[in-house]
Amino acid sequence: MLSSLRARLLLWYTLILAGVIAIFAGTVSYLFWSSLVADVDEGLRASAAALVEGLQPTASGDFDLVLPPEYRQVDAAPPSQTYYAVWNREGELVDRSGVDFAIPPPRGPLTRTRDGRRELAVRAAGDAIVLVGRDLADVRSDVLAFAGTAAAGGVLALALSLVGGWFLVGRALAPIGRISQAAAAMSGGDLTARIAVERTENELEQVALALNAAFDRLHLALDNERRFTADASHELRTPLATLSAEIEWGLSRERSSEEYRRCLETARRAADRMRRVVERLLTLARADSAALSLQRAAVGLAPVVGDALAIVRPLADQKHVTIETHLDAATVVGDRDRLTDLVTNLCSNAIQYNRNGGQVSVEVWPDGTEACLRVRDTGTGIAPDDLPRVFDRFYRADRARSADSGGAGLGLAIAKWIVEAHGGRIACQSTAGQGTEVLVRLPRLV
Amino acid sequence: MRLLVVEDERDLAETLRRTLEEEAFAVDLADDGEEGLFKIRELPYDAVILDLMLPRLDGWSVLQAARAGGVRTPVLLLTARDAIEERVRGLNLGADDYLVKPFALAELVARVRAMIRRAYGNPATRVQIGEITIDTAARQAWRAGAPVELTAREFAILELLTRSRGSVVARSAIHEHIYNEQADILSNVVDVHIAALRRKLGPDVIRTRRGEGYIIDA
Repeated sequence: MLSSLRARLLLWYTLILAGVIAIFAGTVSYLFWSSLVADVDEGLRASAAALVEGLQPTASGDFDLVLPPEYRQVDAAPPSQTYYAVWNREGELVDRSGVDFAIPPPRGPLTRTRDGRRELAVRAAGDAIVLVGRDLADVRSDVLAFAGTAAAGGVLALALSLVGGWFLVGRALAPIGRISQAAAAMSGGDLTARIAVERTENELEQVALALNAAFDRLHLALDNERRFTADASHELRTPLATLSAEIEWGLSRERSSEEYRRCLETARRAADRMRRVVERLLTLARADSAALSLQRAAVGLAPVVGDALAIVRPLADQKHVTIETHLDAATVVGDRDRLTDLVTNLCSNAIQYNRNGGQVSVEVWPDGTEACLRVRDTGTGIAPDDLPRVFDRFYRADRARSADSGGAGLGLAIAKWIVEAHGGRIACQSTAGQGTEVLVRLPRLV
Repeated sequence: MRLLVVEDERDLAETLRRTLEEEAFAVDLADDGEEGLFKIRELPYDAVILDLMLPRLDGWSVLQAARAGGVRTPVLLLTARDAIEERVRGLNLGADDYLVKPFALAELVARVRAMIRRAYGNPATRVQIGEITIDTAARQAWRAGAPVELTAREFAILELLTRSRGSVVARSAIHEHIYNEQADILSNVVDVHIAALRRKLGPDVIRTRRGEGYIIDA
């Protein structure tokens, strides 16, 4: 495709250039011809004047003709030799050179080109007509020689410009080669392939820059996809490993009923964890495909927090975490169950990642057209590097959190989806060692 | 043979401990990377089973730090991710083997045994000492072709001495290799096991080097 593009460009370029050279050479040749013919005419005019001078009408109505010297030798005249003819008033031939071709009498003064000869006729004394003529063979051969030289020069120029054009087109198209190489490597699976960009401002380099940017985004998207798959696989394989190992242990020999009980309890915990991960993955998958519809009703945030706290209270007691609330009235339009999920997720995070005996505070207040919900904890906090990614799926700032929570790092991703589905915003702030604060802003029903 | 299992998933760690103890290993557990690294450095394990995704310090870091500190204990990696790069990275950092979760317990045990055999420099499972034949895979010993009934601890001591054949193994080393960290056993239990072994295998197989320990001659 590339070579054909190059060939096609060159073909068109050559055709146009050949046309231009042909027109130019033709015009110059024509001008050259015209100027030579003008010279010939000049000579003819001089000859005619000399003849007219030598032509004396006599009383009898005849003429005396004194020929200029060049007409006197009749033989061995060169082809460029001027010939002449004289007609009287009645149009009868008076005299002519001894040439072997017919000269049709002109009706009046004229300049003409006939059978490759240039002829000039003028009126002389006594209404006689004097014609001088000359063969143009030498002029023709001069012009042909000139045209031949011009054509040779043109062909040479065309050849030179073809070579130059081939080189220039190649250079101009080189980025396309690099682009197609990089694109081929990219589609071949090498996600790090980029187009080498020269710092010129030409259009193809702009294309290359745009493509590189597109490749970057594609790379990032594929990385995220790959990480998501790897994380999902990790979160499911870990409990599956426990389950299968436990079952294998239980079946490997006869066990006591106490051992069987323990075996089944472990299996149930592993199955529960898998169920939680699968449920959350399904929630997100349905959210992604927009198959999850939200109820739309007026919901008070304070009762939602009450419901959520009732769910997380046992977890808080287990970690000796105290929960403080400061709930003003704020009503939003939305899905009460989903909003309860949201607050439950935020609160259980705040409890799980808290220190033993820490505090969690939950506040709700109206702020202009928005209803605000803030959950703060006194946990270890999140490193600044990790903050932008806390809402990513499966992202956990510290793997230490994975062991017991069973949340698989999906809680905040789901929280973010719920907030955005309600037209709100969610943000996370954290000071390492002091705690984390999640602030949710939802459009308020006034 | 004493093993360390570094795994943050407590149920799985517990299952592994029970399984491996039934296979006559002494097993210690570590919940996170830091504890795991500390134990790997301080205690004479015959092999380590190391999960890659660990709190505080991930498996790769544990492995790298241990190998940098000169620890030569064989390490088997457990990973729940199937990305090839992760396993390659682990192996390149000095791991000896790996298993992807979920795995079969039987395979884990076989791989750990194979790793230990290689580490002691003899990949064969069957060893001949005079008229005694020991099969470390089948956990069985024979005297002049007749099967000998050995307890798990007795077999573990015999296996340890056989692997270290030709060199003296200190009584404390034997103790460390056949009991886990929870064991609080009187120091003469090793002598009791040795006496039982001599009774079953004949008096000349295991010799005492007074003040040093025990040896099976090369």
